[in-house]
Amino acid sequence: MASITEAGQPVLKRSWDRIIQWSVVVITAILVVFPAWPILLQSVMDQPLYEKTRAFTLNNFVKVFSSPVFYQVVGRTIVFALATTALSVGIGMLLAIFVVRTNMPGRKFLRNLITIPYYVSPLVLAFAWGTMYGPAGYVTILARTLHLPTWNLYSLGGIVIVTMMYTMPYTYLYISSSLALADPQLESAARIGGANPFLTMLRITVPLLRPAITYSFLLILVTTMELLSIPLVLGAPVGIQVLSTYLYQLGVVGIKTDYGSIAVVSIMVVLMVTGLVVLQGKLVAQERRFVTVGGKATRPKPLDLGGWKWVVSVIVGLFVFMFVILPLFALVLQASTPFVSPLVNPFTMLTTKNFSSIWDVSTYRQSLTNSLLIGLIGAAIGIIFTTISAITAYRSKFKARVAVRYLSLYPRAFPGLIVGIGFLWAFLMIPGIGAIRNTIWVMMIAFIMRYLPLGFSSISPSVLQVSDELDRAARIAGTSWFGATWRILFPILRPAMLSGYFLLFIAFLKEYSVALFLYARGSQVIGTTMIELWRQGNTGPVAALAVLQLAITAAVLVLSQKVLGVKLHD
Amino acid sequence: MTNDLVIQGLVKTFGKIRAIDNVSLTVKEGQLATLLGPSGCGKTTTLNAIAGLEIPDKGLIRVGDFALTDTGKGRILPPEQRQLGMVFQSYALWPHMKVADNVAFSLKLQKVKRDEIRKRVHEALDLVGLADLADRYPFQLSGGQQQRVALARAVVTRPRLLLLDEPLSNLDAKIRENARVWLRELQQRVGITTIYVTHDQSEAFAMSDMIAVMENGKLLQFAPPEELYASPATQFVAGFIGATSFLRGAVASVDGSRLTVRVANGDLLSLSDRSGKSWSQNQNVVIGIRSERVEMASGQKDNLLNAGVAVSTYLGSKWQHEVDTGSGRLKVETMDAAASDRLSLYLPPDSILLFPE
Ligand SMILES: Nc1ncnc2c1ncn2[C@@H]1O[C@H](COP(=O)(O)OP(=O)(O)OP(=O)(O)O)[C@@H](O)[C@H]1O
Ligand SMILES: [Mg+2]
Repeated sequence: MASITEAGQPVLKRSWDRIIQWSVVVITAILVVFPAWPILLQSVMDQPLYEKTRAFTLNNFVKVFSSPVFYQVVGRTIVFALATTALSVGIGMLLAIFVVRTNMPGRKFLRNLITIPYYVSPLVLAFAWGTMYGPAGYVTILARTLHLPTWNLYSLGGIVIVTMMYTMPYTYLYISSSLALADPQLESAARIGGANPFLTMLRITVPLLRPAITYSFLLILVTTMELLSIPLVLGAPVGIQVLSTYLYQLGVVGIKTDYGSIAVVSIMVVLMVTGLVVLQGKLVAQERRFVTVGGKATRPKPLDLGGWKWVVSVIVGLFVFMFVILPLFALVLQASTPFVSPLVNPFTMLTTKNFSSIWDVSTYRQSLTNSLLIGLIGAAIGIIFTTISAITAYRSKFKARVAVRYLSLYPRAFPGLIVGIGFLWAFLMIPGIGAIRNTIWVMMIAFIMRYLPLGFSSISPSVLQVSDELDRAARIAGTSWFGATWRILFPILRPAMLSGYFLLFIAFLKEYSVALFLYARGSQVIGTTMIELWRQGNTGPVAALAVLQLAITAAVLVLSQKVLGVKLHD
Repeated sequence: MTNDLVIQGLVKTFGKIRAIDNVSLTVKEGQLATLLGPSGCGKTTTLNAIAGLEIPDKGLIRVGDFALTDTGKGRILPPEQRQLGMVFQSYALWPHMKVADNVAFSLKLQKVKRDEIRKRVHEALDLVGLADLADRYPFQLSGGQQQRVALARAVVTRPRLLLLDEPLSNLDAKIRENARVWLRELQQRVGITTIYVTHDQSEAFAMSDMIAVMENGKLLQFAPPEELYASPATQFVAGFIGATSFLRGAVASVDGSRLTVRVANGDLLSLSDRSGKSWSQNQNVVIGIRSERVEMASGQKDNLLNAGVAVSTYLGSKWQHEVDTGSGRLKVETMDAAASDRLSLYLPPDSILLFPE
């Protein structure tokens, strides 16, 4: 095995690496810029973009900023977002502590129930709550007949509570994984120093959660500010408007679409959200000092609540039953009965009419198949693309690798509604692409753009975990950067890619806000059909569609976790 | 024509840090050269520059006429086109491939015929004594076995060079000693030019034809182990290799290569200088004394030092004492415990190293 000499001077072989890396940046940049620039352009134009006679103006800004409604809406949005976030973080944290750190009975069981709303579309959640706690809902009527005090779900308070239920699982998941990672020796040290369990929790456990709390606070603030469905379903009928429903009103419902105002309001929203996202990045970086970690193998002894454990368990159980189980149960009832009434035993009038009314109308049926197609194919494209992006960002010597990271994460600042507006206008402006405008492919591209950050941040930690000596070894063995990516990193990352795939699939299946402006005959998805049916007052079929969406999600969850052993969260 | 590895004027900076600072050296075909130095001195960076994993700012690297890197000509071959073998510190066995597939990987890339691949994989695994583990996955192997698979994978393509980055550092002390004998023997049998990185000097001495001592990116000395020990080029090299103590003094007399040095408390020590430098009377110097060369005085007249024992440590096979000479502290080794707390030490003239201050 002496070394070889014959080869002489080797020729530098070209490889595809640079081309692929450049494609990643360029495609990501296009995806991000594509919906952004028509909005920027429109904000300074006096006529819709497709008019040839349009001219520069600043009137749109003047108009929006001199409208008292705008300030009212901004004010209400801030109140709504802060109230929801505070509640959601507070309750999520309490639940996380009870489940992860105490000996509350039934915590294993409750743990799974608490996270259910995470997988449910907020649109479905809004309908579900309406069915159970709305003015004509089961529980409301029951309370009224029993002469108990009643409530009004169609109010700011109602919107806050339902949105809290939708966002709380995020806090819960984030804080409980932070709790699980915290070094138990820190708590032991406090106990040895003389603190009782409650004091330890108050002085050590909770303060150590500060980074997780800060992070989830800002995350939920962002989520709430851009959320459309719950304020739309519960607020719009009684005239309560927040920024998202205001935009929707301006663009979809209004008689004459005011393009200029839509653009200006969109820009304002994006700026506010960008501010929050940047702040989030800054704070999280600062809070590094709190990271105590090190996946310690020893489990700390759970805090003994003594006799209180039963009280806590009952309260948490009741909360979960009333706020998670009942609304979804109501939805199922509504979908399988002709009308909802607490006065008639629903099981005596079970029917499949609502389901068949969806199945019989081809456009409704198509929204189901469209959603499934976009989910199945789009999620695959999305996860493969973001995996290559993450590898480019973290595992290459490519000049623009930092740009890849920022570009991939930036769509977080774009509310779905605005992504939809941007894509729609971009397509209106570019001549000659009318043919694909009404296809689901456009929808798929817009969905992928919106969820680039989800895909990218779900795969990145795994990419960073793989030792870089593995791909270096592959380079030495004689393959290019892309060869190492394809033959070494992809197979190693397969479990992470699979769980990223399912996360994206569920997100795509739930997504409605991007589609609201973008959909046309032929490209409707479950969410748009639900809103269409709801606006026509067809509550039965809406519930049926919602139940179908839930059933698909549940099936996917069972398939991924039980059959394929995928972990969606740690 | 020979296939020596030639490195000329290699420079690599990371911001302000000069990780490789103008390194030049030539490794003869078939020899094993070790890069030795403290942590952060640039060993890995140098190895990676040879591998093409790091792109140097300046310099030439070639094997025979085969130029791997030549910044002058703007030529930097990507790692996959260099035809090298490399063993990483973590072994970097691909976890999703069986042992045989790990070894076969680059042969498959080269489109070698199936039968030929099977034959060569078997040969390579046989060479490292693991032929019967071909069907295992890496996680089913012990650390030592993984290291040997990594080696088989590195040599199966008959590379121009074999690069090893601290390949033994993840092994237990006991296995490590066996592994280095085995590795050295294998390298000589295959006759492949090898660059070995370590910061363990005994490992470097046991294995190398040549040792390159580095500090802060600079190459201080490149020499065979015996020469490195006998005449270290600088005080740093002398201090890094073996247990060496330093005393200050001034040259009392010069007679060719025979010198006398007066140390701080007035004692005179004569020595024979091998560095070839020229010395002048009264020049301030530093002398290096190897602790293992110091003897208990037994009748000698010259080169004696009186010292008080400060600390004695029992090391199992020998004693080590820190003694005060009045001119500075000195480390001394003896077979038996010190008889009293004052010792009379004899320093053989050829055991004293001389450096300019
Ligand atoms: N990618 C990098 N970016 C910035 N500085 C680097 C980088 N890689 C190495 N360095 C710096 O270059 C210097 C040499 O590093 P190198 O890894 O070559 O040291 P080493 O001799 O292999 O050390 P060790 O024995 O600890 O492995 C160090 O100061 C290191 O901090
Ligand atoms: Mg190193």
